[in-house]
Order: sequence, then structure tokens, then C-alpha cells
Amino acid sequence: MTSKESGIVSGKTPSEAGVELEAERGGISRRGFIGASVAGGASTVLPAVAFGVENSVTETSRPASTPPDAKKMAREVGSSSPPEPLATVRRAASDLMVQVLRDLEIEYVALNPGSSFEGLQESLINYGERPNHMPEVISAMHEGAAVDMAHGYGRSEGKPMCALLQGTVGLQNASMAIYQAYHGHTPMIILAGNDENNFLKVHTGEDIAGLVRPYTKWDAQPKTLEDTLVALQEAYRQSITPPCAPTLVVLNSEIQKEEAGDLQVPRYSAPVVRSIGKSQATIIAKALLQAKNPHISVGRLRSQAGIDHAVTLAELVGASVDSMATFGPMSFPQRHPLVGVGQDKNYDFHLGLEIAAADVSITGPHLKSITDRDAAGIGFGWKENPNLKRRPIPDTLIAEDAEASLPLIINAIESQLTASLNSVIVERIEKHSEKNRSARINSLHKAIEKKRPGWHGTPVSLARMYAELWPMIKDLDWCLASPSNFTGRHHRELWDHDKPYSYLGQYPAAALGYCLGASAGAALAARSRDRIVINIQGDGDFNFMPGTVWSAVHHQLPMLTIMHNNRAWHMELMYVQYMAGVRGRGTDRAHIGTTFRDPYINYAKLAEGYGMKSEGPISDPDEMVAALQRGVDAVKRGEPYLIDVLTQPR
Amino acid sequence: MNKIKFMLRVGFCMVGASIVLSAIASDDLKSDEEARVVQSSGKQLYYDHGCFACHGYNGIGKHNLANDVSAIMTSEAVYLAFIRARSELNPPLPSQKMPHYPASSLSDQQALDIYAYIKTFRDTPPKVDDAPALKAIVEAAQQ
Ligand SMILES: Cc1ncc(C[n+]2csc(CCOP(=O)(O)OP(=O)(O)O)c2C)c(N)n1
Ligand SMILES: [Mg+2]
Repeated sequence: MTSKESGIVSGKTPSEAGVELEAERGGISRRGFIGASVAGGASTVLPAVAFGVENSVTETSRPASTPPDAKKMAREVGSSSPPEPLATVRRAASDLMVQVLRDLEIEYVALNPGSSFEGLQESLINYGERPNHMPEVISAMHEGAAVDMAHGYGRSEGKPMCALLQGTVGLQNASMAIYQAYHGHTPMIILAGNDENNFLKVHTGEDIAGLVRPYTKWDAQPKTLEDTLVALQEAYRQSITPPCAPTLVVLNSEIQKEEAGDLQVPRYSAPVVRSIGKSQATIIAKALLQAKNPHISVGRLRSQAGIDHAVTLAELVGASVDSMATFGPMSFPQRHPLVGVGQDKNYDFHLGLEIAAADVSITGPHLKSITDRDAAGIGFGWKENPNLKRRPIPDTLIAEDAEASLPLIINAIESQLTASLNSVIVERIEKHSEKNRSARINSLHKAIEKKRPGWHGTPVSLARMYAELWPMIKDLDWCLASPSNFTGRHHRELWDHDKPYSYLGQYPAAALGYCLGASAGAALAARSRDRIVINIQGDGDFNFMPGTVWSAVHHQLPMLTIMHNNRAWHMELMYVQYMAGVRGRGTDRAHIGTTFRDPYINYAKLAEGYGMKSEGPISDPDEMVAALQRGVDAVKRGEPYLIDVLTQPR
Repeated sequence: MNKIKFMLRVGFCMVGASIVLSAIASDDLKSDEEARVVQSSGKQLYYDHGCFACHGYNGIGKHNLANDVSAIMTSEAVYLAFIRARSELNPPLPSQKMPHYPASSLSDQQALDIYAYIKTFRDTPPKVDDAPALKAIVEAAQQ
């Protein structure tokens, strides 16, 4: 079958591909095609499509929950002989799947093992000249952790890694983490094994992608090896094409074990990302050059290349810049001399790149444009809530990708720029730089005034924790992977966020349990890049999936975990206190269900049990300083380290 | 509740509270021993009622209390009126605002014990030059 037949059209935008796919479905051939569900109208036809007619009516009408027979169950619980011997294959189908991932430079596949992908797992660890490399298997203790790792990796690198999951059960364990990654616009590829031989019926489903369809961008359940290879490539392409998001391929367990014969890996073609048009670029360039005081706001771009272009643009036109680098990844370097209010706040042209701005903002396309996969009616917070006032969408918005548009604007500027204009711009840049520098120092002094209180206090002040860390890491390549909303966000003023991955941002769906896994994922990226990861870790968040500590040790991740151990789900404690107050019933019982007391948890011991070097609990700030230095030294050597610090609640 | 309404309410309660409180001995009339007892009971109450949640274990937190920086802590009467006046009904969203403490949940004596404990909070932050980390941060920014 050709890729056209499969409905996957190289080089098309996702929505265009979706349209063609839909057209194809109207046709008569349903044999062996990919049941792909993509943004653009596929979901209504999906159940029949994804299943395929070959599986016959009797097969589909059997209840999905038929219990496995004793033999099957015995094998799943590990107390039985191996499965019936399979015919020896000369060239295993799953080897080709690995080859596709390798060609796409997928670095890691995080998994919690499962029989629905034993074929693929065997290929991952044994296939090729350098087996278990590009991709490398990462052991995750929970499917949520596997996806969180892919999330942290995707946020820091702007490209996908894979999470490989066991059928219905693995996918459900992973679902909240996928939901969070979707909100986070994070590219990743989810692979879910589906045991079509019904070895374990309860792990199998007709359309298991349906479990997470509302919060994945695209999915497919291919019925042949050839289609599987095409689907893997399409999953990659869809996931990195804006709006970036998780995609899913359901892998038939039997196809993995097939003989591949002489089948070749299909050619991959990169996505064409939609940008503004040339004439729009010319108009924007003209406006920027004619302005006496242009200003550019930069939100979250997609890669280092995009950031480099944004820097080039700002420098070419001498614009002062707003950066979101202290709020999340992939924004303008925070300490670039042009970042700040500039010489004068009265801007006569304000351009936004992936963020709203007064005159023109190039932002999009948003996940909102995917309208037909949300069968659960989750709404993703985009549905109107009468209690919440939403900012109106400005009519200055151009819903195209900013990163793809920047080269066009730069080209247009270069062709319009004259020598006399350039000298004005150079002068302006100097003025901006000077103003921004003095403003930065003033605001730092002001910020420090707020950080000093409680400096010597016990337990430790969070401001001090961030302040003490900075001199130890500032000359290293570092990434702060942990959301900082519960730890005071002190890095924003005290640290310099100049790399795409300096700070990976808040919880995209405010969903706890993400921080440790995401930090481990960021550390997977860091490990081969001579970078370290800082994880300032809430205790409530930690306890969702502490097993990731073992994964970090096992894979030698350069991750420094510093516990923000306030012995509570503190956020919730405050809410319950308030509620008790509203009802006038006193706050002395608000600790029930909101705190970790009786007994206290010893995180250093817990980490030690998983094999991680650790120390604590520490409540003396001076002791903490020495411990931080030991921790930084360890991660510099590539060893993960945990310091349990007893902290002030906020 | 808007600010003006709130201030009116605090003011109203303060009048009532000061009448009640005129009978209660002020801090400086307590013997050292009495003060110690009050503080340790205040310390326990400060913990049990979760005051540390927003004010930190030593009066430095989301809302600082140490070094007598809070206007609400100027007198027992103002403080008591304040904690009695914070009822906010039917909140639309979860809130981290200060809870309301009617006498049924915290007696005057308990409230004043907490007051006495809060009054002991002293914070002595270092000058920037005496905190190597802060000094390094400022120097790096100035380079
Ligand atoms: C999956 C999930 N469950 C529950 C919540 C509700 N929740 C919000 S904050 C919080 C407590 C966070 O505890 P911790 O990470 O220790 O941070 P702290 O507030 O103590 O600083 C919880 C449980 C959530 N946001 N996500
Ligand atoms: Mg906590």
C-alpha cells in the first residue's frame, strides 16, 4: 500500500492530511489500511475504521472483558512456560520499527515492560550494530513516569522521545501524564502495544486509542507492517508540527513478530510548517523599520533555531524585548541586553511572537484548532466559563507559526534596511542596553530585599535555597526542570535564563506527580549534553511516583533533587484552612488529609533504598549550603543526588 | 468582599473587642514566668491551628509577622478584632486568604496566647555583603 492509500500525505499540513484521509475513507478499499484518527473530522468514522473488517463481527462482538484462561494468566503473572515457539524470522518486523525510530533520531524509549510489545522490546535491546542506542530503553516504574520523562525531555529539547505502554492498562496509567503533556503542547510519541491475539484480553481493546483520544493530537492503529512504519513517521511528523502535542500509535503485537522480508523503511519527509505569507512579512518588516521605538514580545518558540532568529530580528531592528524565559522553555535569552522595557515605554510598534501584542501577534496554530477529538467534552479550559473573565482574542492575531515566519521577516528586513536606518538602530540598541542594564540592577536590589528575610531561619527559607544554589551552578550548563510555583519562583529574579531549557515551566495542567518524572526526562537530555538538571521537588508531588528515583540511578542521570519538604500537600492545607474559616469551625483539624505527619517521611533513606546518594533531613540553612555543594559536585560527575531539606511551607 | 466594606467590618468589631479586652491584662503586666507559659502555649497553638501555613514557622512567610511589621499586631484589641472579622461566605473559588476565627473555634485566651508568641518573632537578615551568595549574585549582575 502506498502512503497515499494510507491517508498519510507527506509534506502536507496536519489539517490538509486530515482532509485527504477523510476523503480516502469515503472510498471503498478498507483492506489493510491505517485507522488513523487525525484532527480534521476523522473521529466520527473511527471506531469502524480503526478496527478493520478483517477482524470479523464475531470477534468484535465478544465482550472485551472476557477473562484470560488459566494458561494465559499464568504466563502473565510469570509462573508459566514461554509462549508457543514462533516461527524463526530472518528479519524481524520490529527491527524495522526500531530502524524508523533510529532514523528519526529518537534518543529514548521509556517503558514499563509488557507482553504486547515483547517483539519491539527485543528489537530495541538487540537490533543493529549498536543495539539499545538511538533509541535506548529507559526503565520506568510507572507508565505515568514514562510519559512524564518524555514530557521533560520534549520541553527541554523541543523534539519527541517515546513512551511505550502495555495495552489498555498501561495507557490508562499513563493517561493523566498524557493529558498534561497535551496541555503543555509537548511533542512526544506514545506507543501502545495491543495484543491482537488476545493473549490477555483485558489488556486488549478494539480502539484503545479512544482512551486518550481527547488529549492526543493524532493516533493510528495500523494493520500491516508497512503501515506501522508509515504511522511511526507520521506520529513523529504530527507531533512536531504546530500545534505540537503527543501522538499515539497502537502497535499490533503480532505484526511486531512478523517476517519483514525485503520491506524497506519508507522515506521520511519533514513537515511543512505553515508561516505567514511573504507580503505579510514585508508589511511587518516595514513597520518594524519605520518605528522609532519598536518592541517585541517573545513567548514559547519551538527550538534553538527559532530563538536565534528572534535574537537576530531584535538586533536587526533595535527593538526592546519581553522574554518569557522565566516562565517556561524556548523563549528569548533573559539577560540579552535588549531584554527589558528599553529606553522608553511608549512603543510605536509592538510585535508578538507566540504571545499577544498590541499591533501584530503571530501565534499559532493553537490546540484549540483541534476541535473534533474531545469526545469526553473536557474542553481543556478553553470553553467559556461564565465565572472567569477571559481576555478577548485580539484582532491583531495571525494564527501561523512564529518560528517558521521569522526567516521571512528577517529576509524582508535585510532587503529594506538602509545604512542610515542602520546607524539609528545601532544608537538605539546602545540606549536600550544601558537602560535595561541599570533597570536590571535596580530590580535585583529590590528583589534581594525580599529574599533576605528569614535567611537564618529554621526550617530553611526557599528564597535562600534558590539564592545559595545560583553561584554554584551559574557557570555550568543547567536546566531547572521543576515547576517553581510552590517554591516561590525565586529563580526568576536571581538566576539567568539564557538557554531554551533554562526553565521548563509550571505544571501545564496543574497536575501533580509530574515533577520527578519530568526532571528525569530533562536529565535524559542533559546526560549526553554535559548539562545538569536541578529539581526542587515538592514532597506531595514526589510521593506519586517515587520509583523514578531508581530510574535516575539506573540510567545515571545528572539530576540534583532538592526536597522542598514542607511535610504537607501544603497548597491544599491552605485551602482547607480557609474553608474551615469560612464555616467558622477552626483550623486545628485542617492537617487531616493534607499533611505528612505520623510518621514523617525520610526522603534521604528512601532515596538510599533506591540506590541514590542522598543526605538529610536538613533544617539548618548553613548545613544546607554545604550539602548543596556536595550535590552539585555529584551531578557534575554524572551521579544523581538527593538532599532532603526541611523547608518553610512557602 | 471589597476593601472598604472589610475595613468597616474590622472597625466595627474592634469597638466591640476593645470593650471585652479592657479587662484582660496587657503584656507588660505579666510576670516573666507567665509570659513564658503563654508563649509556649502560643507556640503550640500557632502550630496546631496552622498559622505557620502562611506566616512561616518564625513569622517569615507569604505574609510576614516577625519584627512587628504587621499593622494588625499593633495591639491585642486590633489583632483580636481582625481575626474575628474575616468571615467570607460562599467563596466561588478555593482561596488562601486568612481564615475566620470565631470565639467558638479559638477562645480569646488562646488567641492572645498566639498573639504573645507572634510578638516574640525576631528576624535578623544579613546585609548583602555578609551573605556570600547574595553578594555573588549582585556582583555577577554588575559585571
Ligand atoms: C493529580 C493531582 N492531584 C491532586 C491535585 C491537587 N493538589 C494541588 S496542589 C497539591 C499539593 C502539592 O503538594 P506538594 O507538591 O508537596 O507542594 P506544596 O503545596 O506542599 O508546596 C495537590 C494535592 C493536583 N493538582 N493534581
Ligand atoms: Mg509539600
